[in-house]
Amino acid sequence: MANRIPPFLLNTSSPGSFKKDMGKVKIPFIEKGINYLAGVIKKGYAQSELSFQYGFFQKVDARVKILFLLFLIIIVSMKKDLLSEIYIWIFVFLLSLLSRLNIVAFYKKIFFLGLIFGFLIALPSAFNFITRGEMIISIVKLPRSYTFWVYHLPAEIGITKEGIYGVLMLTMRVINSLSLSFLVLYTTPFPEILRALKVLRVPDTFLIIIALCYKYIFLFAKTVENMYLAKKSRTVREPKNREAREWIIERMAFIFRRTQLRCEEVYGAMIGRGFSDRLKLYGFRKMGIRDWCVGFSLFGMGVLLLWIG
Amino acid sequence: MDRMRSDLEKILCLERVSYNYLDTICALSDIDLDIGVGERFAIIGANGTGKTTLLQMMNGLIYPSSGRLFFKGHPISKQTLKDKGFLRFFRERVGFVFQDSDVQLFCPTVLDELLYGPLQLDINEREALDRAFEVMEMLRLENVKDRPSYMLSGGEKKKVAIGSVLTMNPEVLLFDEPTNGLDPKTQCFLVELMFALNEAGKTLVVATHDLSLVDELQAKVAVLSEEHRIEKTGGASEILEDEDLLLSVNLIHEHIHRHGEIAHKHIHSHYLFHRHKE
Repeated sequence: MANRIPPFLLNTSSPGSFKKDMGKVKIPFIEKGINYLAGVIKKGYAQSELSFQYGFFQKVDARVKILFLLFLIIIVSMKKDLLSEIYIWIFVFLLSLLSRLNIVAFYKKIFFLGLIFGFLIALPSAFNFITRGEMIISIVKLPRSYTFWVYHLPAEIGITKEGIYGVLMLTMRVINSLSLSFLVLYTTPFPEILRALKVLRVPDTFLIIIALCYKYIFLFAKTVENMYLAKKSRTVREPKNREAREWIIERMAFIFRRTQLRCEEVYGAMIGRGFSDRLKLYGFRKMGIRDWCVGFSLFGMGVLLLWIG
Repeated sequence: MDRMRSDLEKILCLERVSYNYLDTICALSDIDLDIGVGERFAIIGANGTGKTTLLQMMNGLIYPSSGRLFFKGHPISKQTLKDKGFLRFFRERVGFVFQDSDVQLFCPTVLDELLYGPLQLDINEREALDRAFEVMEMLRLENVKDRPSYMLSGGEKKKVAIGSVLTMNPEVLLFDEPTNGLDPKTQCFLVELMFALNEAGKTLVVATHDLSLVDELQAKVAVLSEEHRIEKTGGASEILEDEDLLLSVNLIHEHIHRHGEIAHKHIHSHYLFHRHKE
C-alpha cells in the first residue's frame, strides 16, 4: 500500500500560519435555516421525552388532557373578541407555569410560529383593499382608484381598524391553539398520548401513522443535521447561494431515496413481526379521583371561558 | 488572540472540554487530550460515551459547552472559524471521515466527489484531476468514477468518503468508526491504508469500539467511560491488557459458552481475549 500513496499526499500543506483579517464567512440563509429546523425538531423531541418531570399537568391522565385540548381548541375558534382570547392565553400561561415548563423557550417557539402562521399570513387582510372599514394608518395615496375584474383598489391604501382587529384575532387564535398543543405534548409521554387516542376511538391506521411519523421525524432531523455537518467539514470558503441551493436540492433527492428505502424496510420488518392493521397497546391505567377532579375543574374553566367575553 | 503552544509537536489539544447535548444531556465531561504530530491516536468507548461528539468537536463542527480546543496552538471556536483565513487554514488541514458515508457524499458522481475539495481550495483543474485520479488508483475506484454514490456498495462508499477527504491532502484525518459495517477484506484494506497514510506523515485519530483495530494500529489510546470522561490514556498494549479497565467501561464482558459438554466462562470482547477462567 505504501508504494501506492500518491506523491501529493507526501507533501504537507503550505505555510504553518494563515492570513489574518480576510473577513468573516457568511453562511447562506438557506443552509443555516435547514440546520436550525433540524435542531428545533430534535429539541422538541427531547423536550417531550423529558415530560416525565413533575409538574401539575404531568400528573394528569392523558385522556383528560386530550379532551381538554380538543374542548379548548373549539372554544378558541368560537370566541369572536380579542379580550376572550387574551383570557384564554392567560389561563394556558398559568397552566404552563404550574407545569414547570421552561417558559422562555416554550413561548419563544410559540410566538415565532404564531408570527409566521398567524400574523404574517393574515397581514394582507389588514389593508383596506381586502377588509373595508375605518382607516387608521394611511400608507399610499394613488392618483385615482382602480378596478380589475372583481377587485377594487381604492385611491388611498392603508390599514383599517377592522382589518388589524381580524389579524390580531387570527394571530391570538394561532398562538392559543399552539400553546395548548405544545402544553399537552410537552407534559405527556408519547406512548400515553397514543393510549389516550386509542381509548378515544381514534382509528388504528391513523395511530400507526402518527407513531411511525413520530419515530421517523427524529431520524430525519438527525440525518439532516449530519448532512449539514458533513458539508461544513469540507467547506473551506464562503459558500455561494447557488451552491447552497444545489446542495439542498441534491440532499432532498437523497432524503427522498433514503425515506423510500427506509419505508420499505420498516414495512418489511412490521410484516415480519406479524403486523396486522390493528394497533395493540397495553398498560391502560385507571382514572383516579384526582384525574376526575382535575378533568371537571378544567371543563368548568372551559365553560367559564366560553361564557365570558 | 492566538495562543502558541510551548510544545509545537502537539497538533490538537483539548483542555477541560465538556459538551451537553441539547443543552441538557451530558455527552462529554472535562476532557483533556494532547495529540501529537504524526501520531496514531484511538478514542475508544462503548456506545453513547461521546466518541463521535469528540471527533466533531476536533473538526470544529460543534463547539464545547465549556473548555478550549487548539489546533497547532490556534484556538478552534465559533468565532475563529468565522475568519476566512483560519477557516481555510483549518479545513485544509483537518479532514473528517463520517461513520455514515451516505451523509458525506453529496456530489453527482464519484469523480465530482473527489474533485470537490481541491476545487474549493482553488487548486487548478489539471492538478485537481491528477489528485483525484491518483487517489482513485490508490483506492481502486477507477471503475466507478462516473457512478453516483447511491449506486455503490458500502465498502466503495467508505473508500469514496476517504478519497474525498484525501484529495484535500489534510495533515490530520479523523475517522469515525471506520470499520463499521465493512466486510473483512475491506477492513483489512482500510487498516493498510491507515498505516500507509500515517507513514506518509498524516496524524490519525480514530474513534472506535473495535478493539482489534486498536490492536492492529498499535495506537495511543484514550478510553472514554460511560460517565463521558477520559478513564485512562496509554499505549495500545497497556490498555488492551487492562481487563479490569475494559470491563469497567463495558468494552468487554464476561459470558458463558459451551465447548461440547463443557461450559466455559470467559471475558468476551469480539477481539483476542479468549482466556478460560474455569
